[in-house]
Amino acid sequence: MAKSYSRVKSGLGSVFGPVLSVASKPVSSVGGFFDSYFNLVGAKKENEELREKYEKLYIENQKLLETERENARLRKLLDFTQKRPNTMIAAGVIGEDLKNWFRCIIIDKGRKQNVREKMPVVTPKGIVGQVVEVDLWHAKVMVLNDTNSSIDVNVEGKNTRGLLEGTGQNTVKLKYVIKNDDIEIGDKLVTSGKDGIYPKGIPAGIVITANRNKAGIFADIDVMPYNNFRQLEEVLLIKK
Amino acid sequence: MKTLVYIILGIVLLLIETVISPHVSLDVLKPELGLPIVLYATFFLGARSGLVAAVCIGLAEESLSAAPGGSLLFTTIFIYLIAVVLRRKFFVESKYSFAYLSSASVVVQSLLFLALTFFARGEAHGALNILFYTIPNAIVTGFVSILLFSLIEQLNETFLERS
Repeated sequence: MAKSYSRVKSGLGSVFGPVLSVASKPVSSVGGFFDSYFNLVGAKKENEELREKYEKLYIENQKLLETERENARLRKLLDFTQKRPNTMIAAGVIGEDLKNWFRCIIIDKGRKQNVREKMPVVTPKGIVGQVVEVDLWHAKVMVLNDTNSSIDVNVEGKNTRGLLEGTGQNTVKLKYVIKNDDIEIGDKLVTSGKDGIYPKGIPAGIVITANRNKAGIFADIDVMPYNNFRQLEEVLLIKK
Repeated sequence: MKTLVYIILGIVLLLIETVISPHVSLDVLKPELGLPIVLYATFFLGARSGLVAAVCIGLAEESLSAAPGGSLLFTTIFIYLIAVVLRRKFFVESKYSFAYLSSASVVVQSLLFLALTFFARGEAHGALNILFYTIPNAIVTGFVSILLFSLIEQLNETFLERS
């Protein structure tokens, strides 16, 4: 009796064996899945913590870089103002003209801070423009590339003189330079001080094209201003 | 009440545009946010509300722009007058027709400004510049006014209809 029971049992075992091995595969994989799942839950949590930490550090790093850039910018402004003590008013750029027909920036200093119309506005890089409207707390500055702007300039180190006129685009035009005047690509332009608004010797821009092959007596000259007027954050106003 | 809310909304949008635009490197992305408010007030609230909106928005634009004094107020009121005439002939039935209207108003404003620059001697330097930006401004304003129309309608449904 016991012998026959063990035979049946081993027979059943030999039948169930392969079935069990087949059935165990998905179960083990499910078991593995659960194991991996529980491991993944831990990893996911850790991942989230690390990501959070990374994001915090990244933001902190960005802030530091921004502070460093601001620091450098302000240091340049400070150096520039120290060359001409008590003649400058520092201002921050707070906005831009509503219309893209005009190139005008709005600054956070106004009549209260002794800002007046026609005050020249500069940065350590070069000229920005002039104040055209002053309110109590803010002022509007017509930028060098506005179509209504014109500045009397000289070519640095040469006798050539012309009028720098805004085009509404990024580059400006140097006008009334006679074709046989001494001017070349790469020449630097500085204010002449003869227009009664801008002091002498402030950098204005660099000549990028000089075309003499056109009708008329004047050359067609394009100038790239030193400042990128869309990226200004602080400017200096020169007291008259 | 509604007129006041629309005017405040318009002024806030103009201020936001002024502050944000130095950080946007594309010049063509400068929608006209004042005119759609004037048009909405004129078409949906009546001529009197439209006039109040036109004066307030025109003055706000003047203060945020270096345009020759009075020019933007003039063009805004002129467009308001056109809107008053169109009000009886043109039916704004959806945000899209409102967008067309806003785009057209930007083109008219540019042409008016061009006319002003030719009449006022010494101010004609920017004519090409104004022409250059007319179409991009009209397109961008059209798209933005679709959103603006939805925003105002939402505002009406949520807060203003009850009052």
